[in-house]
Parts: sequence; structure tokens; C-alpha cells
Amino acid sequence: MPTRRTFLAGLTSASLTPTLGWADAGNPIALSAARRPDGQHVLVGLARTGHITFEITLPARGHAAAAHPHVAEAVAIARRPGTFAKVIDCARGRVKQTLHAPTGRHFYGHGAFSADGAFLFTPENDIATGAGWIGVWESGTRYKRLDSFSSAGIGPHEILRTPSGQLAVANGGIRTHPATGRDKLNLDTMRPNLAIFDADGRLADMAEGPDTQHQNSLRHISAGRDGNIVCGFQWQGDRFDAPPLVALYTGNGTLIPAQMDDTNLRKLDGYIGSVSAYGNGRYAASAPRGNMTFEFDSTGTQSGTHSARDVCGLCATPDGMCLVTDGTGRVHILKDSTFTHLATHKYAFDNHLVALTPV
Amino acid sequence: MRLAIALCLSALSALPAVADVQRAIDTHILPGHVALSMRTAELANTAQADCSPEAVRPAFHAAYDAWISISHIQIGPIEDQALTLHMSYWPDPKDSTGKALARLTAAADPIVDQPKAFGDVSATAQGFTALERLLYETQTDAAYACRLTQAIARDLARKSAAINADWPAFATLMRSAGADGNTRFQNEDEARRALYTALSTGLAFLHDQRLGRPLGTFERPRPLRAEARRSERSLRHVQLQLAALETLAAAMTDSDLSATKAAFAAARARADALDDPALQGVADPGGRFRVELIQQAVRAIQIAVIDEIGTPLGITAGFNSLDGD
Repeated sequence: MPTRRTFLAGLTSASLTPTLGWADAGNPIALSAARRPDGQHVLVGLARTGHITFEITLPARGHAAAAHPHVAEAVAIARRPGTFAKVIDCARGRVKQTLHAPTGRHFYGHGAFSADGAFLFTPENDIATGAGWIGVWESGTRYKRLDSFSSAGIGPHEILRTPSGQLAVANGGIRTHPATGRDKLNLDTMRPNLAIFDADGRLADMAEGPDTQHQNSLRHISAGRDGNIVCGFQWQGDRFDAPPLVALYTGNGTLIPAQMDDTNLRKLDGYIGSVSAYGNGRYAASAPRGNMTFEFDSTGTQSGTHSARDVCGLCATPDGMCLVTDGTGRVHILKDSTFTHLATHKYAFDNHLVALTPV
Repeated sequence: MRLAIALCLSALSALPAVADVQRAIDTHILPGHVALSMRTAELANTAQADCSPEAVRPAFHAAYDAWISISHIQIGPIEDQALTLHMSYWPDPKDSTGKALARLTAAADPIVDQPKAFGDVSATAQGFTALERLLYETQTDAAYACRLTQAIARDLARKSAAINADWPAFATLMRSAGADGNTRFQNEDEARRALYTALSTGLAFLHDQRLGRPLGTFERPRPLRAEARRSERSLRHVQLQLAALETLAAAMTDSDLSATKAAFAAARARADALDDPALQGVADPGGRFRVELIQQAVRAIQIAVIDEIGTPLGITAGFNSLDGD
């Protein structure tokens, strides 16, 4: 029997399609971009068991996606310095709309929805000035560009909404220009920060690392249930002189560096790929170039190290664990200091896992 | 851990081995660790008998040679015992070794006379990199430097013996990859990949660090960043590592590796022709060019190794690690 909602939708018009929830996409708990063995790039949904619940082809390599909190809809955002984003109906398996960055802007591969799903936010580079912006889009049957506001830094990378409805932006600090690819143009003067915005786009707080670590580029962030944010960095200085590449933000303009083992730190090429806050006050960070995943306790002290080749994707599961993916197609689960293999697919999982459950 | 390995051994020893992994272990890894253990024991004995730099240097060179010849094997006991940095602490951009030795010396810290406790001092004050400073730099307190030399030599021998002692058990785990109960290597590919990682990261370390650090940039060469420049071993480390990695490459595959062998030969010829043991010539354009030629030859080895060993093993460059975002 059709539900009232599908019934009404069917009555009004063919174009006004009914809204389907994540259950209609096979109940995934996370999304990931991936590459199939035939080279085709796809967006997949992953279940808690590690199995793939749906798969949709993408026109080019993805990076991360923004997941709508209620509707089975994701926006796959082109990797830096791409200018397109695909709005994907994950239940019906089709691309619903292509968004284009405004002229003179490009995306950074990440995006986030507001808590009610009404707005999409996309970090952007204003190519001429190098200033970071957050694009604001209205979601719905057709997405519409509404506005944009300053990201309060250069090179805004990951964006997320916090449990209190604020937005957190990782300003990496590195200026790039599409004419010179990913060349870093301001390493001597770069100054990354974590910027926190109220829902209306007003800057509420900003946290920076110490001056001596101004080359520690903040790229990835994840918020826990308590609102604390774990930060993952990419060090632009000598890889054998890297400061801690993970920090915690608990408010008040301060980043608290994690306690990381020096032997491990030297093996990472100064590079953290993803971070995740999960469970009650637990944190994880992945190092694809060091082939390691690290666990941290609530104080930010490294409490475990797990080997996995080309590991990168991390996200919290609804049952308080951390789902982990790697570039060799494996899915793992991190729980109470044990790292367990769940499933292997013939896919290379791309950089990020995006959790579908609100934290 | 040791008990667990011992229990595994009895269950696994009857299983057939992976031929290429077996050969790499038998002809390269195990003998390399035996040599390291023997040379460091001789170093410790020499230092015990006469701790003057002149007396210790020959044994230091022999033991350091043994270490560099096996230092690319960073899996197994050295990783499990967390000793990677204790054998040699390099690169060291902040001169942590200089600072740590200065601290110990200024305090005339008696920990040098307590063999067990000394093993737990900072890795920066241990290993070949610290020992080199004591043997090749003027010491403000010769008597303390003597005790420190003995302590470092003794601990190098102890750690090398511990690594060597655990290798046969780890080798069994590698050989029995995929057997029931082998959680460390769940299939044969994992053992092969571990060896391939040692080879490819060894080549990358040679290219990027041992050669790349002193080269710096054309505008700013960094001769003081050459590894073991005080004992004028920088070029020797390049030669030893080329030889060791070639042995490993040849052992881990049955194919003839014609491009890989040619690339190794070209790199060795360029290194052997260079008359610049501490790579200090990087500071002038002519000398720099010759070191760059070696570095380019190492790049050619890296490419040949990917083609002839990595690709046939189904190993592709990291999807995420290469992406860089």
C-alpha cells in the first residue's frame, strides 16, 4: 500500500518525486567515493557489516560527500580544484542535479548540510584573491545558490556541522591556483585555523596552533557527541621534524596537541588523511603514507596503533565504533583498541567515509 | 608475545614455504641480522677493552656497515621491540642527538654505568648516530665520553642480539603466510608485500633522504645534512644500501629483472666513481651534479622495480597515499 506521502506526490505531478529516506538505499551507515577495478569512479553506501548497500557511478574521481541528514541524498563534490558537485538520489541511483561553483571559484572536495537538511555548505577558493569562502545552497527539488560567506582563512578544506548546529571549517592555510595545479604558493606565510560559525554564518570562535607550527596545515575535522572536535594536520615542513599531527578542540580558541609517539610520527610523511571522533570521547586518525591508524583517548594521548595499507577513510558508527576503509578495498572496524577486518571489496576506497548518522 | 610465536611455530613448521619469500629470508634477512649481531658484539668488546676513539673506530665502521646493510628491514622484531630509532637516529633536523649527548655529559649522568637502565634513555642518545659523535667530535670530558662510548656500544650489541634472536620465529610467520592461525600474514601476498615495502621504502629513503637531504635545492644545498658526514661514511651508506637492496630485489622474484639489474649497476657505477665520501661536494655546482646523477640513477631503479617486481605482484601505488589532499 502506498504511503500517504507517495500517494500525494503521485497525484500532484510526475516531477515532484516522493522523498525517500536512507532506509530506501539499503540502510547504509556511511558513504564513500571509490574506484572500481574497471577504473569507473563511484559513490557507495556501506553497511555496519562492511557490505556495500548501493553504488552509483560518478563522472570523475570523488573525494568526500555531504550526506543529507534525512533524505537519501548525497552531494559528491569534485576533488580540488574541481568546479562541479553532483546531487545524487541514493535510493533511486541517479544523479539529480549538477552544481557548478560560481565563476572564479573552485571546490575543495568537502561539504556539509545544515541540521535540518535545508542548506548545503561548500568550502570554496576565490581563485583571484586566494581567499576562502563557504558557499551556501538551498536544497530541495532543485538546489539553488543563495549566498557565500568568508571562511575566515585560506584554503578551507573540510566543513562539518557540530551537534549544537554550528559549522566548523578547517582552513588549511595553503594558497593554490588552478594554473599551477596543487603547487603551494605561500608556505612561508601560511597560517591555518579552525573556524567555528553560528548557523547564520557569523564567526563564533577561531583556534590556531602555535607560531612555530604555522606550517601545520589543518585539513580534516570530526566532531564528537560532546561537541569536541578532533583535528588532522598535514605538516609542510621537514617530515622528520613534524609536530603532533592531531589536536583536539574543546572550545575557547585553543587547539590541544595530541600526544603522539615519535617513532610513528617520523613514518607518516607528515600526513594525516582523515580523523574521526567516535563513541564517548574516543578519537582516531589515519595515516595513508604511514599505513597506520592511530587511536587516542579522551585526553588526546595515543592509545593504540594499527597497521593497514593505504588506510584513509574513518567515521563513527551508530554503536560507538569507528569504521575504517583503505585503498586496497578493505573495510575494518575499530573498537576498544581492537582493529578487526570486516570485508574486502574489489574497490579502492577513496579518502573519506561520511557518516550518515548524526553524532 | 614470544610464547605466542613459539606456540605458532610448532603448528606451522610443517607447511610448505613461499619460495621467493623463503629465499629472501635465507639469503638476505637472516644472514644480515647474524652479521649485525656479531659485528656489534665485537664493537662492544673492543670498546670495553679500549674506549679511545682510535681504538673503537675500526669496529664501529664494521658494525655500522652491517647495520646499513640490513637497516631497510623495518618489519618484524625491530618493529615489535620498537627499536627502529634506537639503532640510528637520522634524519635529525633539530640535532636532537647533539642535545641529548650534551645533557648526559653536562650532568655526567651515571646511567651510562647501568646497562639495563641505559637501554631506556632517549633513542637520540643511542645507536650509531650518537656513537659517531663520540668517536669523531672533540669531547669536553674524555673520561665520561669513554663510559658513554662503552654504554652505547654495549647497548647496540644487546639490541642487535635481541632482534637477531627473534628473527627466526618471525621468519617462520612469513614463510607460513596464509596458514591457519597465522594472523600476522593472512596470505602469501602479505608476506611478499612486506618484502616489497622494504625494497621500495629503502629506495625512497636512499633517493629522498640519503641523497636528497644533502642536495637540498640548487639555491640552497645542505652539505651539513649528509648522513654520517663526521665519519665520512655518507657515500658508503649509499653504496651499501644499493648492494643490499639489489640482493633483496634479486631474492624476492624468479624473473630475470634485466632492467632492475641494469639500473642498479648504473647507480653503483656512478656511486663508485664519486670521490666525495661525505658528499660535501653538493655545495659546488660540479660536485652537486655528480651526486644528482646518482640520485637520478636511483630514480631509474625505483621505476624498474615497480615495472618488474611491483606490478607483477599486483601492487599498485597507494590510491590514497599518492592523492595528497
